[in-house]
Amino acid sequence: MTLGDAAEPLVHIQDFRMDFGDTTVIRDLSFDVHAGETFGFLGSNGSGKTTTLRALLGIYQPTAGTLHIGGKVFEPRDGARLGYLPEERGLYKKEPVLDVMVYFGRLKGLSKAAARSWSESYLERVGIPEKAKTRLDKLSGGQQQKVQLGVTIMNNPELLILDEPTKGFDPVNRRLLMDIIEEHKRAGATVIMVTHQMEEVERLCDRVILLKDGVSRAYGTVEEVQEEFGGTVYRVTYDGVLPPSDLYEVISVSEGRAELAPGQGASEEKVLRELVEAGVSLRSFTPARISLDEIFIKVYGEQHELAEAK
Amino acid sequence: MALARHNLGTVVAFEFIRTIKKRGFAVATLAIPVLLILVFALIYASNSSSHASADAQKNAKFSFSYTDASGIIAPAGAQAAGGTVTSDSAAAIEAVKNGTSEAYFAYPADPTKEPVKVYGADKGMFENGKYEAVAKQLLEASAQYQVKNPALTAALTGTVKFDSETYKNGQVAAGIGGVIPPLLFLVVFYVSMILLSNLMLNSTLEEKENRVTEMILTTLNPTTLITGKIISLFMVGLVQVLVFLAPVGLAYLFFRDSLALPEMNLSSLVFEPGPMITGALLLIGGFTVFTGVLVAIGAIMPTAKEAGTIFGPLMAMMFIPFYTFSMVISNPEALIVQVFTYFPLTAPVTALLRNGFGTLSPLEAGIVIVELFVVGILILRLAVHLFRYGSIEYGRKLSIAGTFRRTDLATK
Repeated sequence: MTLGDAAEPLVHIQDFRMDFGDTTVIRDLSFDVHAGETFGFLGSNGSGKTTTLRALLGIYQPTAGTLHIGGKVFEPRDGARLGYLPEERGLYKKEPVLDVMVYFGRLKGLSKAAARSWSESYLERVGIPEKAKTRLDKLSGGQQQKVQLGVTIMNNPELLILDEPTKGFDPVNRRLLMDIIEEHKRAGATVIMVTHQMEEVERLCDRVILLKDGVSRAYGTVEEVQEEFGGTVYRVTYDGVLPPSDLYEVISVSEGRAELAPGQGASEEKVLRELVEAGVSLRSFTPARISLDEIFIKVYGEQHELAEAK
Repeated sequence: MALARHNLGTVVAFEFIRTIKKRGFAVATLAIPVLLILVFALIYASNSSSHASADAQKNAKFSFSYTDASGIIAPAGAQAAGGTVTSDSAAAIEAVKNGTSEAYFAYPADPTKEPVKVYGADKGMFENGKYEAVAKQLLEASAQYQVKNPALTAALTGTVKFDSETYKNGQVAAGIGGVIPPLLFLVVFYVSMILLSNLMLNSTLEEKENRVTEMILTTLNPTTLITGKIISLFMVGLVQVLVFLAPVGLAYLFFRDSLALPEMNLSSLVFEPGPMITGALLLIGGFTVFTGVLVAIGAIMPTAKEAGTIFGPLMAMMFIPFYTFSMVISNPEALIVQVFTYFPLTAPVTALLRNGFGTLSPLEAGIVIVELFVVGILILRLAVHLFRYGSIEYGRKLSIAGTFRRTDLATK
């Protein structure tokens, strides 16, 4: 059983709108995720990411629009090929780890023996084999997250939907998690990932969408989005005060370091000359691609507040 | 379909095994048979001692004197029991007082109007009973001796058996033997609800409290989950009933006489098809209604503690019909009985009672059964809907109307 035709987008969302009472939280959202790609779902808290995923998975009823996985509305019986790590994590806390993993493995179509064998190998891999018979609520938060991730991927899913997967992980375990995601990506799985870790998005994601207040503000490959938001920035270290200019916009500034987004008709030479003529003592001037972090801040208006503060 | 069956089996096995593996469940389930065994042991010990004491008292041998103004007492019998006739009542009492005689019985001229006076040397509160026991036995034996007719003796002593037969529509009516079997459905209803209701309430709350709902809803149809939970709870209830009944069954089979358990004459029970089928349908319908309501409460309430505030009044609905017990039997047309018969939460108990006592007409039975099944299925569907859209509302009380507004909007 597969989730869809490889020629069609695996996930297709068209004109999606979601209202809660009189409040519209998502409006006219459209995007596709193709089979085999890793897709970053970005946005600040409350921007509508989790709501979109819940509607896609049938947990919420959409107010309007089309939300398809594999060409049709998702149903629980398709869950055998899905791996979903929700934002609100939780398993049966009073049950032993292995029992819970085997239960979900069985629900995802694995035989009891296969589910048990896979679970034991996984616990070994993530360094908690001795916890197999321990109740979940006796585990640390990080260990519980590992079990939850195991339950998510144990059916070797075609589509992996991870809502803030690194939440609750320390840096070491975050690396382990990213390795596991990369393995599934290499094995051909489609991954949709909600995260605030922009460096992970840049490292893993083929395409991204950025939501703000339930509306898409950027959508495409990472390069396309970077291009859309200026593509190149100039990283400068300096002494003095950066003057306002039509040639650039100050994206971020901190203790003699700043990032400048070139304006209309600006070039490296023109910006450099402008700064020198304004009396700024430059110690370095490096053209670079705008980071997703910077784009995120730009979309959410932080740079405006920073400029005002300055 | 095959996957749904597989998942249903998986849910049933998981829910059943984890429930019976819980230490609390084992303690709660075993506590009752242990208590029963303890009670039986105490009864056994008490009965042994009571029988021995009663026999010892009746057959106690001691010397006594007596006066007989009635002329009933047979001198030979009295002598055999250790008695000596006397004519001086005051001396006999004095002899008991100073310890030269153990006891003195004064039989009056007319024992129906005056009491038999019994005087004895104090032997302690319990053993003192032997004086009255012997005085009474001597009077009874002497009376029987004088009547010289076993039939009259039986009539006088009230040991004659009566066998009543009444007729209904020209046929022999079943009587109490026909009332008991359909009332067993009421017993089963109470036992199952008392044992399972709390588990039902908490089973759906658990997904919510543990925030496992999203994982479940993307893997499993909520109807399958809830059906699986109900089946597993029924199995859990069955295990509990078997564990509870085991000591009773063993006691009845092996220690009936020692425990003074009444003999069960099953041949007197009449299993009439009509009331039995009606009882079974009322039981299933009532169980469906209460299960649906409990699951719905679990879906609406954020925590077990808050659910408990509704749980109490709901359970009270099961007991309220007993306040009108006499009317249910003698005046089923009374307004309150009619209201209780048709109100879904009081209907199962009221209708089962009326069915047992034969005051529920076939038409009324049909209406109540249909009502219970329709309401039960609707409430179960509502419960699944509320679980589907309500269990995601972690930590918040669900707005029932809100779940429907959301669905309505989706269909526009």
